[in-house]
Amino acid sequence: MQIRQSNFNEIVMQAIFFLSALISVLAVLAICLFLFMRGIPAISEIGFTDFIFNEKWGPVNIPASYGILSMIVGSIYVTAGAIVIGVPIGLMCAIFLSEFCPDNIYKIVKPAVNLLAGIPSIIYGFFGMQVIVPFVRENFGGNGYSILSASIILGIMILPTIISISESSIRAVPESYAEGSYGIGATKEETVFKVMVPAAKSGILTSIILGIGRAIGETMAVVMVAGNAVMPLDKIELLKPIRTLTTNIVTEMSYASGLHESALISTGVVLFVFIIILNASLSLISSKTQRN
Amino acid sequence: MKNNRILFITVLIVILLIVFTGCAQETSDGQTADFDFDKDITVVARDAASGTRGAFHEIMNIIVKENDTEVDKLVVGALEFDGTDKVITAVEGDKYGIGYISLGSVSERIKAVAVNGAEPSVENVKSGAYSVSRPFLLVTKGTESDLVKDFLKFSESTQGQKITNDMNFIGAADSPEEYTASGMSGTIKVAGSTSVAPLMEKLQEAYQELNPDVVFETQAQGSSQGIKAAIDGSYDIGMASRELKAEEASELNRYVLAIDGIAVIVNNENPKSDLAADDITNIYIGEITKWNEVK
Repeated sequence: MQIRQSNFNEIVMQAIFFLSALISVLAVLAICLFLFMRGIPAISEIGFTDFIFNEKWGPVNIPASYGILSMIVGSIYVTAGAIVIGVPIGLMCAIFLSEFCPDNIYKIVKPAVNLLAGIPSIIYGFFGMQVIVPFVRENFGGNGYSILSASIILGIMILPTIISISESSIRAVPESYAEGSYGIGATKEETVFKVMVPAAKSGILTSIILGIGRAIGETMAVVMVAGNAVMPLDKIELLKPIRTLTTNIVTEMSYASGLHESALISTGVVLFVFIIILNASLSLISSKTQRN
Repeated sequence: MKNNRILFITVLIVILLIVFTGCAQETSDGQTADFDFDKDITVVARDAASGTRGAFHEIMNIIVKENDTEVDKLVVGALEFDGTDKVITAVEGDKYGIGYISLGSVSERIKAVAVNGAEPSVENVKSGAYSVSRPFLLVTKGTESDLVKDFLKFSESTQGQKITNDMNFIGAADSPEEYTASGMSGTIKVAGSTSVAPLMEKLQEAYQELNPDVVFETQAQGSSQGIKAAIDGSYDIGMASRELKAEEASELNRYVLAIDGIAVIVNNENPKSDLAADDITNIYIGEITKWNEVK
């Protein structure tokens, strides 16, 4: 009787855990299904090349044109800018925290980094509109709403991701590596930069890819600082406004209808494909590391 | 070893100091500069799907119509925001900015300029002196039922006009009267402009509170659809956020539900307070790019 009872509990609990696992899978499937069911017909109606490789976005013109090339390029530029700004700072911060930081400074820096991760993106956007945009306008020219402003905001936003994952992967390098390096007469700096950091390479790469994922999908902060102008490819400049895939959806979704609305969902499909590519490269890296 | 560590920390602190003092100096610089007419104008617009944008661009001839085509000529690089608040914040923060918002949203944060000498006030919009406005029309075929007439009476009553004014539109009825519930029942079918739809929805809710047996069927797919539906009789009331064309007007009864004024706004530090309509158009299509080219 006793045994049966515990078996029964076992089965029930197994089912509950299995269901929990199933729900997240179902959520992903449902989102995929919705995106592709609504998005693919619109893409085929607009025409694949007219959608992806056309830089003219004029949903209210007659005849309307729905080209998102400018936004694809915009997303790539803004994300690249965020990487250029965020990765060196984040990486150096991670190295400092894991190898050089005295305990009393660590106690301040680490919680600050964690707090940075918890700030809602709308607050970043507000900060960007009130501080970064005027700063760029007065120091670099233009009207401030630009690729540069968006890159700075995103660069700050991806810092926590890069810092915490890089730091823990540097800390995870076995102590024996450092001891071996000291043993052959290397200095602390040589040990850190030539042994510890290279050994943590895959973790650092993972942090950068997760950072890219965060930057490319960020919406609320970018929409407030990027200016959202659809720029022809030859007019895109660092100090000129830009529209990304995410901001295209959020600026026009509220009133859009018909094919316009479907075209915005298709924009989401393209974004989704970007994220899938990023995740695939992530699992490629981790499987490579496991083989090594 | 120890020295290196100190060196590393010192360098880090120096870098941070340079960055922060840099920020502080530059921001204080910017605020003292005067209005520079040689600077580029920052053009701020609404997103493509916005009703305000549709109306403003049409009134100011930024949308160019030729035969069957319609092209929005908004200058490349114009900022586009998805809300009135963001347009205000952008113009408030940029001395050289220009934008447009619904008249009801004007505040001290920005300056609403006169267009062709007419101040953007409720009186000027009502009298027609201020040209940047559009009517919200309700049209019927003239064969409507008593129920539809009763609803139209409600929309022009004191209660209806109060709802209109509360939504920052300008009530157009000259001498509104108090509406008393008629207790009628039936269905009213309404179609048309997406810009009028939010106001229509509020009016319907209030009307249904007084006459709970009335049911509404509303479809919002644009002014043209509403006008067409009213002409062919498939809907009782058509909503339009533009003036009727001559051939449409001949077949329909026209009720002005409200007037929606659109204010052209600039930064408070901008010395201009009166712009010619042509200049505004030229700014928005990129023919004028600097404030010194504006008369």
